[in-house]
Amino acid sequence: MPENSYPLLQLSSISKYFPGVKALDKVDLELRTGEVHAICGENGAGKSTLMKILTGVYTPDEGQVFIEGKDTKLTDYSSAIRQGIAIVHQEKSLCSNMTLAENIFTKPPTNRFGLIDYRQLTSRSERILERVGLARFSPNTKLHQLSAGEQQMIELGKAIASQPKILILDEPTASVTDTEVNIIFDLIDELRSKGTSVFYISHRMAEIFHVSDRISVLKDGQYQGTVNTFEVDVDMIIKMMVGRELLTPDLTRTWIDEQLFEIKDFCGDHFSDIDLSIKKGEIVGLSGLVGAGRTELAKTIMGALPKHTGIAKLMGKEVVVDHPAEAWRYGIGYLPEDRKHEGLFLEMSVRDNMLTARHQYVGNDLTVENIKSVCLDMVDKLNITPGDISRKVVNLSGGNQQKVLISRCLLTQPKLLIVDEPTHGVDIGAKSEIYEILRSLTKEGVGILLISSELPEVIALCDRIYVMCQGQLTAELKKNEDDYSEENILSYASGTKNMFNHSETPV
Amino acid sequence: MISTLKTLKLKKLLEERVFTLGVTLLILIVICAILWPTKFPTFSNLSLVLLNLSIETIVAVGMMILLISGVFDLSVGSVVAFSGGVAAYLMAYQDMNPLLAASIGMLSAVLIGLINGLLIAKAGINPLIQTLAMMGIVRGLALMISGGGIQDLPAGFNAFGQAKILGFQSPVWIMLLVVSVFSFLVYKKVFFKNYFYIGGNEKAAFLSGIKVEKMRIISFVMSASFAGFAGILLTARMGAAIGTTGQGMELRVITAAILGGASLLGGEGRIIGAMLGAIFMGLVSNVMIMARVTGYWQEIILGLILIVVVWIDIFLKRRSEINAVEYAKKAIGVKK
Repeated sequence: MPENSYPLLQLSSISKYFPGVKALDKVDLELRTGEVHAICGENGAGKSTLMKILTGVYTPDEGQVFIEGKDTKLTDYSSAIRQGIAIVHQEKSLCSNMTLAENIFTKPPTNRFGLIDYRQLTSRSERILERVGLARFSPNTKLHQLSAGEQQMIELGKAIASQPKILILDEPTASVTDTEVNIIFDLIDELRSKGTSVFYISHRMAEIFHVSDRISVLKDGQYQGTVNTFEVDVDMIIKMMVGRELLTPDLTRTWIDEQLFEIKDFCGDHFSDIDLSIKKGEIVGLSGLVGAGRTELAKTIMGALPKHTGIAKLMGKEVVVDHPAEAWRYGIGYLPEDRKHEGLFLEMSVRDNMLTARHQYVGNDLTVENIKSVCLDMVDKLNITPGDISRKVVNLSGGNQQKVLISRCLLTQPKLLIVDEPTHGVDIGAKSEIYEILRSLTKEGVGILLISSELPEVIALCDRIYVMCQGQLTAELKKNEDDYSEENILSYASGTKNMFNHSETPV
Repeated sequence: MISTLKTLKLKKLLEERVFTLGVTLLILIVICAILWPTKFPTFSNLSLVLLNLSIETIVAVGMMILLISGVFDLSVGSVVAFSGGVAAYLMAYQDMNPLLAASIGMLSAVLIGLINGLLIAKAGINPLIQTLAMMGIVRGLALMISGGGIQDLPAGFNAFGQAKILGFQSPVWIMLLVVSVFSFLVYKKVFFKNYFYIGGNEKAAFLSGIKVEKMRIISFVMSASFAGFAGILLTARMGAAIGTTGQGMELRVITAAILGGASLLGGEGRIIGAMLGAIFMGLVSNVMIMARVTGYWQEIILGLILIVVVWIDIFLKRRSEINAVEYAKKAIGVKK
C-alpha cells in the first residue's frame, strides 16, 4: 500500500443542493495515487451525487476540486475525461445497436486524413476485451448479443480504454457473475500496480474489505471520515454509516388469523409457481437479490404485466386483474419501485399526484373544497413538508415525494398495499416515518407486501418473509419461529439453500 | 411578507402562458388601434379576423388535447378536406339530405381517427409516422372525391356556415361555443384530467389505474372529429368543397397550440390557450396586411415569433428552477 503518495485528488468542502434537499454538505475527501478508495453510505447518503460532481455532470454549489494540487473546474463529462477521470456507471452508457469496438472507443483512432482507422480500432479493442475477460468475442459483435453481466464488463473496458488516472466504479458487481467479479478484482489490482487510483462504491461489505485500501463514509450528505481498511471491521463501518441504531423492531403482533390475499401457481415471464398469502394486518416481506423477479411478480399481481397461469383471491373470492385499474378498484394499491419514472408526475402538483388513483373510480365526487381538505389531511397525517399542495412535486425531497405516493395509495382506502422499495433514496428521518406509517396501517387491518433490498428493514418490519431466487420461492420464514438473520435470508436469496426442494419439505 | 407573496403570485402569472399571451394580445391590439385608427379597430375588420381563424381554432381544440397527452396528429388538415368533400359529394351528386350527408362526413372523420388511434395505441406505431402516412392517404382520397371542387350545394347547408347572428358569421359563434364547452370540460372532468397524467408520465399513469390505450384511441378519434366537423363547417361557409383545402393547416394548428402554452413533451396546455394562439396568429397576419408586408414575410415573421416565444418560456422556467434551489437553501438555513 503506497503510504506516502501525495493526494492526486482533493475535494474541499463540496456542497450540492437540490430543490428541497441538501445532497452534499461540505464534503472533504482525498484520493492518493494508486489507491483503491471505497465510498460507503446508505442509499441517499450522497455517493452518486459526489461521483457526478467528479465527472462534471453536476457542478458543486460550494467548494473546490483540486487535481494534483490544481484548482479544477469540472464543467461537463468531457472536461472530466480530459482530466483523466473515467466512470463505470450503474446505469448503462452503451449503445446496444453498435459493435463492441464502437462502444469501447467512442472516439475511435483515426489516420492522418482524419478518417476512422478500423484496423487499429479492432486491434486495440481486442486488447481491451482480453483485459476484461471477453476475448471470446470479436470486436465487431453487436452489443445486444451480450448478457447483462458481459455488457457491464464492456462498460468497464470502455472506462479503462481512456487510460484514466482516476477510475470510478459505481456498484460494478451489481449485475455480474462470480467469475466476472474475480476478473474485476484482478483488473483493479493491475490498475493499482500501475498507479491508477480507484473510487469503489458498493453496498457489499465483503467486497469493500477485499479490495480497498481506505474507506470513506458518507451519511446524509455529510462526510463521516476516512479509515484504513486494515484497521477496521464491518461493524465499525456500519456504525459510521448509520450513526445510530436504525430500527427497534416493533414486536407487537397486529395481524389477525384471517386470510386477506393469496395467489396460487402464479407464472409470468420472470417467475414461476409462486404461492403466497397475506393475512389481515400482516406485513409480509418479499426478499431476494436484484433480478430475482420480485418487482415483476408485484406488477403481475397489479395487472401491469401479463400472467401465464395462476389465480388470485382477495378475502376468499377470486379476482381477475388484467389492468392496474382493476387492481385499484378491488382495493389493491401499489407503490412502484422507480419513484421518478413510474410513480410521480414531476411537473404536476402535490394535489394532482395524490389524487391520480382515487380519481379513477371515485370520479367527480370530490368538490373543490373537499379535494383540498382530503389532501391537506394527508399532508398532516404523513407530515409532508412543505405542506403546500399546489407545489410541484419535483421541488420536494425524496422522502416527501415518497409520502405523496403513499398518500395516493391511502386515498383509495386499500385493503392490500404492495410497496416496492418504499425507502429507496429516502433520508433516515423520513425512513422511520414511512415505517411508522406502514405499521399503523396494519392496525386498521390492511395487509402489506413489502419488497425491499435492505435486509435490516425487512427483518425489523415483517411478520413473515418470503425469499425469492431466480423467479422461484426458496423460503418462507416466520418471525419468532425461523432463523431471521441476514445470513440465513441471503443464503436462500442466493439459492444455496431452498426450503421448497422436494428432498427437504413435502410440497 | 405581503410584498414577497405578491411577487410570488406575479411570477406564477408570468409563467402562465394564457396570461402572458393575453396581455401581449391586448398590447398588440392597442398599438394597432393607434397606428391604424380608421382601418384596424372596426367591427368589420375584427369580425373578419375572427372568422378567418374560427375553423383552425376548432381543429386546435382537438390538437390541444393530444398535445397535453404528449402526441400530435398531422392528418387533421387532410381530414378537413376529406369530411367536407364526402358531405359535399353526397349532397351535390346523390341529392342526399344535408343533415344526413354531414353526418356521414363526420362518420368518415371518426373512422380515420379510430384507425389512427388503434394503430398507435394497439400496434404501437409512432404517432408522427402514423398520422404523417394518414395525412397523405386522406389527402389523396379528398382530392379523388372533390377533384377540382364541388359547388352548388343546398342553400340550407350553406346557411350553416354563412348565417349571421349579431353581426358575426356562424363559425365564430360555433368556435366560441366549442372553446368554452371544452375549456370547462378539460378543467373540470377527470376524464380530461387523465390526459395531463398521461402526458406527464405515461408509465405512472398506467400503474395508477388509467386506461392509457383506451384514452389514446379516444383522443385521436376526438381530434379527427373536430377536424371533420371543421371541414363540414368550412365547406358550408365557402359553399364549396375543394380537395386542397386545409393544406398545411396541421402545422398552423400545432403552432397556435404551442403559442398558447402546449409543450411537445405533454402534460401542459389549456384549451383557451389554443384559441389565444390562433387569435395571435390571425392578428399578426392582419397587421402585416395593413402594413403592406408581402405574404412571404408573414411566414418568416410567424416562424421567428414561435422561436422567440418558446425560447422565452425556456428562459423563464430555467430561472424559476434556480429560484427553487435558492429557496431550498434558505429553507434549510444555509448562510451565504
